Amino acid sequence: MIVLISIPGILGHLHPVIVHLPIGILLLACLFELISMRPRYEKLQPAVSPMLFMGAMGSVMSCISGYFLSLSGEYDGSLVASHQWAGIATAAVALLYVFLRNKVAIPLRLSVAVIVCGLITFTGHLGGSLTHGSDYLAAGWTDVGGSTVKRAPIPVIEEAAVYADLVQPVLAEKCYNCHGAGKQKGKLRLDQPDFILKGGESGNTILWGKAAESEMISRMLLPVNDDDHMPPREKPQLTAAEVELLKWWINSGNNFTQKVKELPSDEKMKHILLALQSGDNGSTTALAADKIIPEAPVDAADAVAVDKLKKAGVMIVPVERNSNYLSANFVTAANGADSIIALLSPLKKQLVWLKLDNAGITDESLSLIGDFPSLRKLQLSNTAITDKGLSKLQSLPELQSLNLVGTGVTAKGLQVLQQSKTLRSLYLYKSNVKKEDYAGIKKMFPKVDVDSGNYVVPTFMTDTTVVTGKK
Amino acid sequence: MTQKELHNQRLVREAQAAVLRMHTRRHFIKESAMGLGALAIGSLLGGCMGKSGNNVTSGVEFDPARPLLPKAPPFAGRAKSVIYLHMAGAPSQLELFDYKPELMKMDGQDCPPSLLAGKQFAFITGVPKMLGPQAKFSQHGQSGAWISEHLPHFSTLADEVCFLKAVKTDQFNHAPAQLLMHTGSARLGRPSMGSWVTYGLGTENQNLPGYVVLTSGGNFPDAGKSVWGSGFLPSVYQGVQCRSEGDPVLFINNPDGMSRDLRKASIDAINEANQQEYTTYQDPEILSRISQYEMAFRMQITAPEVMNINDEPAYIHEMYGTKPGKATFANNALLARKLVEKGVRYVQLFDWGWDAHGDNESNSLNIGIINKYRSIDKAMTALLLDLKQRGLLEETLVVWGGEFGRTPMMENRNGLQNPFKGRDHHTEAFTIWMAGGGVKKGFSYGETDEIGYYATSGSVEAFDIQATILDRLGFDHETFTYPFQGRPFRLTDVGGRVINEILA
Repeated sequence: MIVLISIPGILGHLHPVIVHLPIGILLLACLFELISMRPRYEKLQPAVSPMLFMGAMGSVMSCISGYFLSLSGEYDGSLVASHQWAGIATAAVALLYVFLRNKVAIPLRLSVAVIVCGLITFTGHLGGSLTHGSDYLAAGWTDVGGSTVKRAPIPVIEEAAVYADLVQPVLAEKCYNCHGAGKQKGKLRLDQPDFILKGGESGNTILWGKAAESEMISRMLLPVNDDDHMPPREKPQLTAAEVELLKWWINSGNNFTQKVKELPSDEKMKHILLALQSGDNGSTTALAADKIIPEAPVDAADAVAVDKLKKAGVMIVPVERNSNYLSANFVTAANGADSIIALLSPLKKQLVWLKLDNAGITDESLSLIGDFPSLRKLQLSNTAITDKGLSKLQSLPELQSLNLVGTGVTAKGLQVLQQSKTLRSLYLYKSNVKKEDYAGIKKMFPKVDVDSGNYVVPTFMTDTTVVTGKK
Repeated sequence: MTQKELHNQRLVREAQAAVLRMHTRRHFIKESAMGLGALAIGSLLGGCMGKSGNNVTSGVEFDPARPLLPKAPPFAGRAKSVIYLHMAGAPSQLELFDYKPELMKMDGQDCPPSLLAGKQFAFITGVPKMLGPQAKFSQHGQSGAWISEHLPHFSTLADEVCFLKAVKTDQFNHAPAQLLMHTGSARLGRPSMGSWVTYGLGTENQNLPGYVVLTSGGNFPDAGKSVWGSGFLPSVYQGVQCRSEGDPVLFINNPDGMSRDLRKASIDAINEANQQEYTTYQDPEILSRISQYEMAFRMQITAPEVMNINDEPAYIHEMYGTKPGKATFANNALLARKLVEKGVRYVQLFDWGWDAHGDNESNSLNIGIINKYRSIDKAMTALLLDLKQRGLLEETLVVWGGEFGRTPMMENRNGLQNPFKGRDHHTEAFTIWMAGGGVKKGFSYGETDEIGYYATSGSVEAFDIQATILDRLGFDHETFTYPFQGRPFRLTDVGGRVINEILA
């Protein structure tokens, strides 16, 4: 393999390395020049000339490397031009200063030193604007709280324009800095539809209708530590909801004008759109329905209560590390469950998953857990629960999954759960629900995945016969 | 002591004194500086060595006295348990899931040289003939997945599973390929995925092992027991092989004349001795040993109960197609469901006998392997449906696959035509499916070219599958590490990408 080494390329990329050297040396030389006027620092006088010389040479090198870097075309033309001329001016003044220093009067010398300092500051600021974006310095003053942007709510989401009202703000916040008017890293510019269509140097920036294959999305989905991941790991990242939004937009085809209501949206997308309507960029609640644990923080559970349960053989485990939300599993405490279930009460705010399968519990004990505010998944299979117990569960505000396999509940008893807005899956295998009731139940719970079980895998002739080579 | 010896001794002492005199203060300071530097570098490098990084790197709390207690994953996982169905010997993707009508047209023709250039096969030499699909395919379900006639039951679940059709490996022999798939390394010595998972999550039922291995098909996988070994992880995390024939675990029943009380007394005595040993030496492995004895004692009651499939109703046996008292895939599938129901974290099934070379009748695609299809089709279909109706599928990740795929060419062992239809080992592309715990339903990711030789899109490898399984359980495969020999190790080594495309 032949490696093409481009000297201008290398020199160009050395610009950030080289540039800081003359800045430091020249500033120090000027400082020495000024303070050596005082008798106390007189001795610094001889150091000024060689330092100025080094600084001036360094600034010439910076100009050369900077010129090569500007050839890469990744930066905004007008800003580069001012930076370039300011840099050349700095180098020129520094050179003049070096060669004429001993031929001019002291007041002029001192004013030149001040001018050099001013030029360095100005050039440096322009350079900083090029690499970090022109709002970089100001952002440090105005936005102390970090990058969580709360967008203005959108009054009627259906009427919002997909690109202009939803997509563009995301691109502006997370992408324009490097792919905007100021800078075009990878020759990609995303701040206007024409530029987006043109794409960047790796091509396929957007493949309409194929979000997953589009460079834009596939890079966002790479692991954050991947060198090709976008935005780069040190920059603010897109939220999951924002990525979903971009995917949705790309999959809708070449579209810069359509409104939200003109595009088909599935359940997940509806959640995200609703969040955007309320001004949430998805960092907090948009995908909450997708998350399996509640987002709101909760206090740590009472350690004594947890300990008591553990001693009784109940497995109490946080749902995730560093979370106060808990799961409880009675698999090794099934026999005495009815007597220890009351111990759960102090954990009512923290309990998200509760597994009571095969536990010897009665309808009575369900009244204890009927008001657990965070409970999302309740597994009661093969217990003596009946409709009476079920009626205690109607007020569980977060319940998503309810397992009633092998219990005594009937279709009539399930009616109390109709009010639940959160319920998503209901398991009724081997319960007292009759076959003919399922049509009604499915009508009762249009949004719930009702599993009736009783699946049969028929036995075919081929299942029991063996193929042999002999005819 | 003779005069001479005395003299010699004096000479030595004199020389030593001379050396010491040479050692000036200047030397001392100079050497001290070096020594301090060495000390400094030692402390700087200290972070890379020994156990100092233990809990910092992986965040997994390891309590040697109770190594299997359940632990929270770094983030809430979509799956709590894994059932991994491994078809040892590598089933043919071209007869089951990867439908290639173009290959049929090439049936019997010489293999184009472009497919052979620079390639090494396990058995193919010279120019083999192409072999068309040995099955009829049709589309199933809303997703329109192509599934062959060999899986009439499983094809009804087309909308429940997620296919990965372009899995790639770099090992073309069974043992290394199986090790790579389960331990992340083709060489011996790394912990298996089940060990990593039980190390990271513990297990919910303290009366049963957290990681159970069940084998069928008459043989162990070629990689041997290392494929469920714990490698450098504490040995309590290795897979516990249970048998579906006879005693579930060897010697689990007390021998004649040994009552449970006596057993208890002897275990208490052994543990007492171990406890004294621990007080003296403070070796945490001793605590693990004590807890293992205690668990074994509890298991004597619970394991035979869980491992006994006879208490399942007849219609369940009918559904799985079990054969009582035999070590069949169907029996193991039913056991897998029972174990997961009881809170076992990781159940690994190996079914041997899929190596379809076609050099004899039993491993030929047109005879023997058809019987293998029949032995798993009903059982794995029943397993998925049974987990589903019990509400367990949403928290259990089921994975099915082999260690590699099979070539689109017919095998020509030793340059001769094999007597039966068979295919050689193929590393470029094969099919694995997943179902349940947080993966998309009725979805297919990855495609192969028109003869199923190379992946054309969505190529994934063993590391990616491991990363995805760990992700569904709540781990970031890059930060889930264990310190060993001076550096943190992880299951996916330096590779792996979570296959985001298939996550639900």
